[in-house]
Amino acid sequence: MVPGPVELRVVDPDLPAATTESAERILDATLALIARWGVAKTALGDVAKEAGCSRATLYRAFPGGKQHLLLALGERELVAYVGAIAEAIDEAADLEEALTMAVVVASRLLRDHAAAQFVLDHEPGLLLPFLGFHQVDRLYGHTAIALGPHLERFLPADRAGWAAEWTARAFISFIFNPRADLDLADIDDARGLVQRFLLPAFVPMITSPT
Amino acid sequence: MSDDARTRLLAATVTCLGRYGIAKTTVDDAAREAGLARATVYRHFPDGKEQLIAEAITWAVGQFFAELAVAVDGAPDFATKMEQALVHAHRAVDEHVVLQKVLETEPERLLPQLTQSAPQVVEVLSDYLAEQLRAAPLAPGVDPADAGEWLARMGLSFILAGGRWDLTDPAQVRRLVRHELLVGVLAPEALAAE
Repeated sequence: MVPGPVELRVVDPDLPAATTESAERILDATLALIARWGVAKTALGDVAKEAGCSRATLYRAFPGGKQHLLLALGERELVAYVGAIAEAIDEAADLEEALTMAVVVASRLLRDHAAAQFVLDHEPGLLLPFLGFHQVDRLYGHTAIALGPHLERFLPADRAGWAAEWTARAFISFIFNPRADLDLADIDDARGLVQRFLLPAFVPMITSPT
Repeated sequence: MSDDARTRLLAATVTCLGRYGIAKTTVDDAAREAGLARATVYRHFPDGKEQLIAEAITWAVGQFFAELAVAVDGAPDFATKMEQALVHAHRAVDEHVVLQKVLETEPERLLPQLTQSAPQVVEVLSDYLAEQLRAAPLAPGVDPADAGEWLARMGLSFILAGGRWDLTDPAQVRRLVRHELLVGVLAPEALAAE
């Protein structure tokens, strides 16, 4: 059975997901199965077999069953994803590099995430509810909260949150509607986009903060 | 006459979607609403319901942007046109009875359909904006086609969701357009609010 849309909590990139070792193994197994045949066909019995544990152990770790498991997996993967993007921003020397590498790292991680790719290709209906009208508003809000503070080395707080939201808008647009001659996983392509369209609005902020 | 029947069917299908939703609307409903025979539906949409609904949604999206183009036709310059377009589109989405109803009840059915028409929308919007940009004073080094494509994406992004921007507030929209979206695109003198 395909689960309905779930509520995503705000992801704090500085907070590691607290789970036990067996729960981690079960989540890894779920991820492998989703990459293989998707969310709909992934049954709890298969997950237990793949993880090498009993169904009882699985239910002890995730009493809410499949929905609980998927939610925990989504949260774990998102925390890791946002954490990696935050790290890329933290390592940047200036705003241009920060926004460029945020987009590049986000693109590469998504491209190389087999389970996410399977869902994007074959079960987009599971993701789209997060990206429609009001839901995507919340996604932008979460992005600003999670990544905005990491941009505050370069911008005042309100501008940093907006820079994070704006970059997320560009990223989401190109993920769901790619442009043949622009690859955001490519540093030069991403830098070009940031230089041409994002930075100009922030440059006066950088040179003459008010 | 044939085109007319086709358009009537598409419009009738959109009406039915607002009334019954995507899952429950049938070919019969659309035929009855359009006042046409069931056979006529199958003549225009041989694959039946699935095709009818997909094309009706694409048609409604086209109507939405055609009305948007008309609404901003009288704007004196590019920046003003962008402002008017965002305000109008945001209101039109809010007030679109069918869209809001289906979004609320069947987002998982509607959103894949809308996503499918997105590349076409970006393409048409890009060409339109690039054409407008060719007649506008641009910032140094800006390629109208490249900037048009970017602004089409960002325009769509804001039509979908305002984020931190209140698109019902003209002052906020002015700031968004003139101090953010168009800063790297238009020459500084074209960004000043009149």
